[in-house]
Amino acid sequence: MSRSRSSHIRRPLIFILFAISVFGVARAEEVGDRWGTEEREREFYPIVNIPLPPDTVIEAGAFAVLPDRRIAVGTRHGEIFLIDGIDGAKPTPSFHLFASGLDEIFGLTWKENAFRVTQSCELTRVVDTDNDGVADRFETISDGWGYANYHEYAFGSKLDADGNQFVALGLSESYYSHALNRGFIMKIARDGKTTAFASGLRSPGGIGFDEHGSLFYVESQGPWNCSCSLKAVSPNSFHGHPASFEWYKFAPELGPVPESPKSGTRIATERKHVKQLVPYAVIFPYIRMGRSITAFTVNKTQGKFGPFENQMFLGDYTLSILMRATTEQINGVWQGACYPFREGLSTGILNVEFSPEGKLLCGGTNRGWPVRGIKPFALERVDWSGKLPFEINRITIEPDGFKVTFTKPVDRATGSLSDSYAISAFTHPYHGGYGGPEVDRFKSAVKSVSLADDGLSANIVLENLKQGFVYEFDLGILRSCDGDELLHRNAYYTVNEIPRR
Amino acid sequence: MAQTLKKTFYSPRRTGHIVCCLLACVLLVGTSRAADRNPAWPGNHPLTLSQAGDLLILELRCAACHKGIERGVLSEKSAPDLAQAGARVSPEYLKKFLAAPSSAQSRTTMPDVLASKPADERQQIAEALTHFLVAQPTQKFQEETPSKENAQQGQILYHSVGCVACHGPRETTGETPLANRSDSEADDEEKKQNENVTIQPIAISLGHVPAKYSLKSLSEFLFQPLRVRPSGRMPDMKLTPSESLAVASYLIGDHPKQTAAFQPQEPLVLLGKTYFRELNCAACHSLNNIPAAPLFGSLKNADISRGCLSQTSGKNPRFQLHHDQVQAIKASLTAEPEEETEKVLLAKTLTAFNCIACHIRDDFGGVPEQYNPYFATTEQKLGDDGRIPPPLTMVGAKLQSAWMKKVLFDGETVRHYMTTRMPQFGTANLSHLPSLFSKLDILESPDWKIPSPESDSESERAREKRLRPAGRELMGDKGLNCIACHNFNGKPAPVNKGIDLMTTFQRLQPGWFNSFVRNPGSFRPRIVMPTAWPNGIAAHKTILDGDTDLQIQAIWYYLSLGTSAADPPGIRDISTRLSVGNTARTFRGRSRVAGFRGIAVGLPEKINYAFNAETGTLTAIWQGDFVSVNWNGQGSGDFNPAREPITLAQDVSFTVLADDDAPWPLMPVMTKDARVNPNPLYPKNLGYQFRGYTLGETSIPTFMYQFGEIEIKDRSVASAINEQQGLKRLLQFGSPTPQSFWFRALVGDIRMHSEHVFQNGKLRLTVPDVKTKLRVLSKEPNRSELLLRLELPQGKSNLELLYEPLEK
Repeated sequence: MSRSRSSHIRRPLIFILFAISVFGVARAEEVGDRWGTEEREREFYPIVNIPLPPDTVIEAGAFAVLPDRRIAVGTRHGEIFLIDGIDGAKPTPSFHLFASGLDEIFGLTWKENAFRVTQSCELTRVVDTDNDGVADRFETISDGWGYANYHEYAFGSKLDADGNQFVALGLSESYYSHALNRGFIMKIARDGKTTAFASGLRSPGGIGFDEHGSLFYVESQGPWNCSCSLKAVSPNSFHGHPASFEWYKFAPELGPVPESPKSGTRIATERKHVKQLVPYAVIFPYIRMGRSITAFTVNKTQGKFGPFENQMFLGDYTLSILMRATTEQINGVWQGACYPFREGLSTGILNVEFSPEGKLLCGGTNRGWPVRGIKPFALERVDWSGKLPFEINRITIEPDGFKVTFTKPVDRATGSLSDSYAISAFTHPYHGGYGGPEVDRFKSAVKSVSLADDGLSANIVLENLKQGFVYEFDLGILRSCDGDELLHRNAYYTVNEIPRR
Repeated sequence: MAQTLKKTFYSPRRTGHIVCCLLACVLLVGTSRAADRNPAWPGNHPLTLSQAGDLLILELRCAACHKGIERGVLSEKSAPDLAQAGARVSPEYLKKFLAAPSSAQSRTTMPDVLASKPADERQQIAEALTHFLVAQPTQKFQEETPSKENAQQGQILYHSVGCVACHGPRETTGETPLANRSDSEADDEEKKQNENVTIQPIAISLGHVPAKYSLKSLSEFLFQPLRVRPSGRMPDMKLTPSESLAVASYLIGDHPKQTAAFQPQEPLVLLGKTYFRELNCAACHSLNNIPAAPLFGSLKNADISRGCLSQTSGKNPRFQLHHDQVQAIKASLTAEPEEETEKVLLAKTLTAFNCIACHIRDDFGGVPEQYNPYFATTEQKLGDDGRIPPPLTMVGAKLQSAWMKKVLFDGETVRHYMTTRMPQFGTANLSHLPSLFSKLDILESPDWKIPSPESDSESERAREKRLRPAGRELMGDKGLNCIACHNFNGKPAPVNKGIDLMTTFQRLQPGWFNSFVRNPGSFRPRIVMPTAWPNGIAAHKTILDGDTDLQIQAIWYYLSLGTSAADPPGIRDISTRLSVGNTARTFRGRSRVAGFRGIAVGLPEKINYAFNAETGTLTAIWQGDFVSVNWNGQGSGDFNPAREPITLAQDVSFTVLADDDAPWPLMPVMTKDARVNPNPLYPKNLGYQFRGYTLGETSIPTFMYQFGEIEIKDRSVASAINEQQGLKRLLQFGSPTPQSFWFRALVGDIRMHSEHVFQNGKLRLTVPDVKTKLRVLSKEPNRSELLLRLELPQGKSNLELLYEPLEK
């Protein structure tokens, strides 16, 4: 779960006020803080409320799709509900309480007729052995971590191809590592053997596999993280926050303790010194792209959800929004881009999952931290209306710039103009302070643009392509062949590596 | 130009008294209209004669056959989808309806397309068309008898969710109108108007429904009416499938029709298809890609004394319209073309979709007196505003655009207490409405400056620091106490459970908020919400020095902060009480009595215990209610025993001591200054590993754990000996080899009653016949520990303990 700022201080929602000076100015609330696209988005991706049983609190923390097409939801109240009929045009699903009394569920997957449930205290196999529809056996698969502070959340992945599962462990009080392995990612093998896999976490919000099957986790803005980000996890990798170094002595499998990172540098320079340090794969610029991003899922709906196949979808807790992300590996290092997708959800989004019919389920709560959504908890479904929005589909890097693909053909008049591609770049300090500014900003002049014959992609050659920078795209000038404006004009690509020619 | 059909009358006090008539379906001949009002289109609408004619042209779909009718923004009333009509509608009814529509269903908009045919030919064509329609779907029409229970439930729903607004009540409530003032309370002006306007509201008859539908087809229709009738005149009332079944059961009644099995015959199916083409049914009903005939001549300047509006039309379909309605259509067709203003379009929209059956806007619309009792609330103290849908006057300046769309198109609602539901008319049908409202309704916005806590300006930051707590204080129980009558982020208010304040900033526009809170009564004369600033003067003088503008601004700013601001004073976090029913309940969570990996177990006999799964130790026992759980704030659900428990030590329970005097291995201690766990593998290095639990008979858990090679099952059940309640704990061991080790049973001020009975405070423990050792830990205070020496054989063995909480 993403924890912006101190857990003890309820901060005002700066985003609501950002760039607004006067009430009453037409649509003043729509600038700066919000993308301002909610009312246009609904034409393409309407939000459908999922009615919940009366007097039942469902703060969704994790989802799983069952072989019989039911959806299981694990909640912060430690319950697992099985939901039937969630895909209906006018949904009136049934909710069946399968298990209860667990401790805050942030990981749920179904394997061999049982759930594997990540709770704060352990990874548990939950089974209904007598087939009466209610769980009756709760086997501890792994409890290989300390749990001594309420803020020590645990997030579980699905299983990888070899049957391994990964649990991301947040720090104590989100700052320290007082209990065993806090700040580690643990690998739980098929046989339950639990080993440390990666270190340097601060306050994860989710963990899973991207479109390529590679492991990523979601990190929150805070110390050593000026923005929220997706981070690529490889064995023995270090993710920037040194608090978990304490436990290397209990985890020889992680190898030597990394060199302590030097505060006040840049990630691109520091990764040269700290060999285990893995740079943020996709940075989500703070506030513009969420304040506390949470668990992701990958769209493998085979077109049922529209044009964004094989992309990651994830929510933000504070802003009650959904975003997309794409990843690619360059010179052995993961990086990629994030894109706005949908705003105006009703509560803080903790997790997302695609339904069997290819609709995106979102759930969460507004409890405990600042949240824009006004409902204490909600389950919502984002449908694709079947209409094709004009969107940036995906940005990938080239040796001298970027390739941007679109969902609809771009018209030649705007698409061939360099001025249509406003690109700037910034980076963050890499430091132990909480959050941090966007620094070293520069405009990246576009040397040339080559719009593909079909108008569906543009190759952009830049004057200046630098490692360690986030490239911010504003393509608001572009028009589709139908004369549409982009539904979302911005996208953000994190450059860790530049492909060789 | 055109004559205004209705006598306008308006008083803000007339909520619930303004007459409404039914517009959702066009009411044709036979409509029981208001005596002296509104001859072309009934209801308390503001339309002129020609504007009513415009609507009639849309409702009757004249443009389906005729040229020269300009299609505007407002959608036509579409004809039902016939693809499933054969499964939806009784074949008997279909025949009757096709042969003479208005004889089967009064006030239908379906024209009589066979009007000119002789009676026997009408029957023959209707028969063939019925065969054709029944042959289309794979499913067949099937009768079913409704259950009485469902019908009773349906009767309640019908008369509470809003069906009455368009179809009228089918039963009298026998109650006086809810929360209405008596006549003696009405002012003179109002009484006068009541005398002048005694109009019966009109109800669209549902008399044909039992003959037409089956229970199944009607409940499916009621669940999603827009699937069959996409133009939204019959809206989606947000019924669930079971509610739809209930209302259908009620409407069908307990006298199902006796219908003979109907088997479509191929020759008649083919003949029916031919008639379907010839009669140009496809002009209105798309079916099997059968093309519609080309459009006929323009209606502009047509002689309407002939053709389908006349009662003597030749081959044309015949609409049995009332004279006034024909005049209205004529007025529409002959009116000088002029651009439709937004105001007129809005009036037409609210009239066509019968929004005005429930809502007042300006000087039209509103709930009619006779229907008033059917608008109910679960929060009586909110008065009429708790049960009558809100006025639409200035709604475009009231609601944020995005929120209005949520209400109109996503079924969003904040008035949980109102039994009447805001129907859903379909996005496509009302997509123009939000922008119309916002263009027409303009309210001056206050010149408020939003404070910014991160402003570069020190004075601005200081202003923010002043406004935020002031807004919070004003909302709270020591201020204006808004939270007494408004829920707050899902937490119910103590007095009236009014609209959740957390929704305010996203729902409302600041200009409207500013005007409304200053004087709610000017917007809603009977509102129970008081003003905190009578005549613009703040009642609270100490907060922000009693500055009215600043106080309202502070509240707005505070509400804009949503959950990022602290709750107002008076909002208290409430722990959730977990209760235990007929079966045991197991709940995991951190607890002061069981550690972070704690588990609470409640037994139906009202004896409860806690287990520390990190150390494998029974750590607390209490009687009575189970636990309360803290799911407030960021808490993940820590539990507290509902009654003061007897607490026990939380260290590991089993160990091998190096010698008899070796100290018991204790849990590592963290202090404020040394917070890192110095021995994080404490239980594991002592051989302990938790393995989980199973829920057996009546859900009683059996904990599973290991001590070295020994597998342990640990199950506790309630016991009662001589009315003394207790907990009988059975430990089952499975060991591959003989083992010898210690079990620590008690720690504290232990008194030994006998060889097997010990007491520690209010807990009496009975142990089996094993070697025990009572070791003194300290004398001041007196503190000792009771150890049991366990000598396990190879294989399975048991240990039974009895824990009895004593009153003294």
